Amino acid sequence: MKRRIAITAVVGITALALTGCGGASPSGSSGGSGSSDKLVIWNWGDADDAAAAYTEEVTAAFNEVHPDVEVEIVNQPFDQYYTLLGSAVEAGTGPDIALFNGGTQLKSRADSLVPVTEELADLEDTLAGWPAFQAGGETYSAPTFLQGFPIYFNKALFEQAGLDADNPPKTWDELSAACTAIVDKTDASCFALGNKEGLGIEFFLSGFGSGIFTPDEYDAWIDGDRDWTSEHAKQALQLWADSSADGWYNEGANSTAMFNDSFDLFSAGSSAMVIGLMSGTAHWKQFDEFLGDDLGFMMPVTINDGTTLALPAEGGIGYAVLNEDKKDLGVDWIKATVDHDALANYSLAGGQITSDTTIELDTDIESANDIVSELPGSKPLLHTALTAEELDLLHRLGQQLLGGEVTVDDAAAQLAASEG
Amino acid sequence: MSIDTTSTRSLVLKDRAPGRARISTRVPRRKKPWTFERCAPYLMVLPVLLILAVFRIYPLVLGINFSFTGDKELNGQFVGLENYVTLLGDARFQASARNVLVVLLFVPIQVFVAGILATFVFLKIPGHRFYRSVYFLPVVLSPIIIGAIFNIILAANGPLNSALGAINIPGVDWLGLPSTALPTVLVVHIWATFGMAFTIFLAGFATLDAELLDAAKIDGANMRQQIVHVIIPGLSQTIQFVFVTTTIGMLTGLFALLYTMTAGGPGAASYLPEFLIWKLNGEARPALASAASVFLLLIVLVIGLIQIRVLRRATKEA
Repeated sequence: MKRRIAITAVVGITALALTGCGGASPSGSSGGSGSSDKLVIWNWGDADDAAAAYTEEVTAAFNEVHPDVEVEIVNQPFDQYYTLLGSAVEAGTGPDIALFNGGTQLKSRADSLVPVTEELADLEDTLAGWPAFQAGGETYSAPTFLQGFPIYFNKALFEQAGLDADNPPKTWDELSAACTAIVDKTDASCFALGNKEGLGIEFFLSGFGSGIFTPDEYDAWIDGDRDWTSEHAKQALQLWADSSADGWYNEGANSTAMFNDSFDLFSAGSSAMVIGLMSGTAHWKQFDEFLGDDLGFMMPVTINDGTTLALPAEGGIGYAVLNEDKKDLGVDWIKATVDHDALANYSLAGGQITSDTTIELDTDIESANDIVSELPGSKPLLHTALTAEELDLLHRLGQQLLGGEVTVDDAAAQLAASEG
Repeated sequence: MSIDTTSTRSLVLKDRAPGRARISTRVPRRKKPWTFERCAPYLMVLPVLLILAVFRIYPLVLGINFSFTGDKELNGQFVGLENYVTLLGDARFQASARNVLVVLLFVPIQVFVAGILATFVFLKIPGHRFYRSVYFLPVVLSPIIIGAIFNIILAANGPLNSALGAINIPGVDWLGLPSTALPTVLVVHIWATFGMAFTIFLAGFATLDAELLDAAKIDGANMRQQIVHVIIPGLSQTIQFVFVTTTIGMLTGLFALLYTMTAGGPGAASYLPEFLIWKLNGEARPALASAASVFLLLIVLVIGLIQIRVLRRATKEA
């Protein structure tokens, strides 16, 4: 017995002696590759041939500047990407450069990233969507593509419901009436919704935000001045809950994954509308493959007076430097990713709305051209301005609001409290 | 005066020889010299001790150490119990702690299901060989595959609800409602893993006194009486063992199913400590995740100590 106590004491003392010595991650730069002639880059892989071709073009553009540097691209699964990246960075074995989603995902990790503000200053006028890659007055990456939440609709289902497909709803009341008609007259749900991961409410908030908040409120929100208990913030939560209660969404939204189950519902004609993306998965080109001429695009609807409708769009993805020692190489890689030719080719082949404003999208797909025409008046996404913790809380509350387990006032109070 | 160590050592060795009296009262007790013979056993276990220290003890101590440091800008700084205080106020942590209790409620169900089916197979009901294979089959399937299969079966518009609809029972969004999400995942987990407990029960039956059972049969005991009065008392040690291992399995082996079936939701209704640890790490808060890991360690440690007691008792009786 005495021996057991002694062993326990030794382990305990060792633990206490170590306590507070060092942290979860080594301070300073990320591990990355040891040699200066190699650049280790993490991303979540190429979705298709077009994406692979883009990566090849970017690598070629980079190697023109650094012919002797070996580029090692490590593909990680997207659904575990940030967990794996976080673990690697904490363990000091992270890559030299990593791909990030703009907004919350990049901003919440700004402490681990190397600022490249001055180095990318010459690209400022050519590219759009910078705010998603800036935090604390510093720039951490250049936006390769734009990301946004356009509302797509199925013209055939609109016509089946007796609606004018050439004149989609422009106000919340018109949208409500359209949903009622669709639910009554077709077998489809009004909106395709996958809320298993809680993503639905962020699509709703950012998708309809410009019709709810006044321009001043919207800008303040993006600048970090948010009041969840304000009339319009609570209204956004209320509309989310009400639209579910009114039967707008497919059955079992809280147990349906958004990627790709809910988008498949829309592609298959089981839902009349969806808030999708404009680059990456679930974008105009992907939907066009299934719906063809039936694919329509509509702007958010006016909900309150004094609002100005805007397409929610901002910088989508971009590479950021993690290894300070490879900063120069990293900057050149980032510049290669926004290479004009590489972006132009990918925008057409892969269905990306590019951040390079000098590129024209040469396609006859109507919805794509409509989206591009709305870009000049676009505004950053509301949800990507939130912190990671706040966004996670919003996801959970979004599920609970859908199920009626929390009131709008409670949800607003919890979100306000999370703002600190 | 010098001491003749050679003669002293030979005297001690002589006294330790087999069949001899252990202690020579005439020689005073003294510190034994570190001879090769004496060091050899320690040298032989040293590699194992080093492996344990490097790969088991050190990471464990490191993890506990991390839980007392900060995240992000406080990385590496000692923050005392701040992480634990933060956790106690976290809705997801509270939910996962509550859900541990729900998990514990399902342990007896798994033990009962495995035990009763193993009993039927042991009593050689018709087709018992077939059932033995079928019951074990899900154990070899990956939880990810099981999760994907049951996602389809349990979908709001899936086959289960369609079948219920056919007999006029309204469907349920099994994985999308807070009241049903975790219990549904637990039922699927029981379905997927009871085969292992079932196998342990069958092994336990091998040690059962067959004569006692025969005697009960001759005395006219029916199947219920055989189970209640002969089999259950005879298998008490096995039942305890299965109980403890099932509990640990449920607490530490549900991540894959939760990840694929509910993602912890809706809200935090199906969060468990393991899932929370993963989420916190993904949110770039590894120190907080370490604190949650210590919490899970404590739970498993308590169960583990019970397991050690059960095993010790079982060994003694053997």
